[in-house]
Amino acid sequence: MLLMIITAGSLKAQYAGYKLLTDLTIFKTQFTAATEKTNSIKSDFEQEKNLSMLSEKIISKGKFWFKKDNLVRMEYKQPFQYLMIINKNNVFVKDGQKENTISTKSNKLFQQINRITVDCVQGTMLANPDFKVRVFENTKSFLIELSPSAKGLKDYFKNINVVVDKKEYTVSRIEMQEISGDNTIINFTNKELNVTIPDALFAIH
Amino acid sequence: MRYLLFISIIFLSACASQYKSLQNARGDISCIQKFKPVFVSALYNTQVNAIGKHLSGLLLIKTMPDSSIRIVFSNEVGFKFFDFGFAADGGFMVFAIIKQMNKKAVIGTLRKDFGLVMMRHLDTANGFVRKEGDLTYNAFPQGKEFNYYVTRAGCSELVRVEIASKRKTKVQVIMQNYIGGIPDTISIMHKNFNFNIGLKRLERNVER
Repeated sequence: MLLMIITAGSLKAQYAGYKLLTDLTIFKTQFTAATEKTNSIKSDFEQEKNLSMLSEKIISKGKFWFKKDNLVRMEYKQPFQYLMIINKNNVFVKDGQKENTISTKSNKLFQQINRITVDCVQGTMLANPDFKVRVFENTKSFLIELSPSAKGLKDYFKNINVVVDKKEYTVSRIEMQEISGDNTIINFTNKELNVTIPDALFAIH
Repeated sequence: MRYLLFISIIFLSACASQYKSLQNARGDISCIQKFKPVFVSALYNTQVNAIGKHLSGLLLIKTMPDSSIRIVFSNEVGFKFFDFGFAADGGFMVFAIIKQMNKKAVIGTLRKDFGLVMMRHLDTANGFVRKEGDLTYNAFPQGKEFNYYVTRAGCSELVRVEIASKRKTKVQVIMQNYIGGIPDTISIMHKNFNFNIGLKRLERNVER
């Protein structure tokens, strides 16, 4: 009984306002059905990097595009210019100085990070074997807690939490909690679903 | 014979000290203190080119309440490469570093490079002044090496900073466009191997 109280107390304290879903069957069915209908997402994003020991926040903003299957474009506009395109098994990055294409087939960590990004927006994270998954809910959203079990990710991340809004079953927030206590939070706003996005936006030359 | 002479000239010029022509001089070595950056909190867009590899990201330099200085380098997406601390008493701490960079030589090089940028180890009691043309070399011995803070006549401008052996420049740092005591642009160039760091300060008032 005491153990139950302690466990319930710790879960409640973990994510304020959220309660743990013990049966994921309905959630999985609804989530899968909704994400199957989402062929593209266009949105703005704001990224907040919190350096806990330094009491510092680094805020950046940009545009985000997703298109099935496995096509992601993140374009940072403020306060710096940076472009990242995920196109199937390749990641293209362009900073102020150089362009670089990385094949995720030859880089395990990139492969894992690539999969997290695509899984998060495509709604396929529940099947990712690199993580243990728990799902919490409140009245407005689900919080999918991904705890890394794979070696490379486990050394760096404590959890990756994906907040999915209940109305559209789309990702509104990604929180990457590091072992060090720092975190990176990405909020997606002004989402437009199933708009036409040209393939050229994801082209890697 | 002519060939031998040519080789000898090349060899001698390679061995010749770049600092041989400096003249002994008098001057107020402490004048360079005014160029010491005051990194309350500064964020830089950062480009690193090292032996054919390119890395970009954001470098945060912040003075902590205990007067230590933290330097954190992460990529644009938030993945942290390293987190170093320079204590006020001269100590150095590695708070975090990724496995690929966790090598004694890499950490030692970065420690020296950023130590130069922060203008640490300005022990004026051991320092001396040399001149060449209108440039003043404010020199501070560091073991077998020297840190040179090269200023324009009258200590009006910090032209460059160098780490050098007795003969050759090993590292050159250029800090330009000071705004509120913080350089806007910083270049760190290694002369004996291909390793350069470029920093450009970012305006942090992102519209929300």
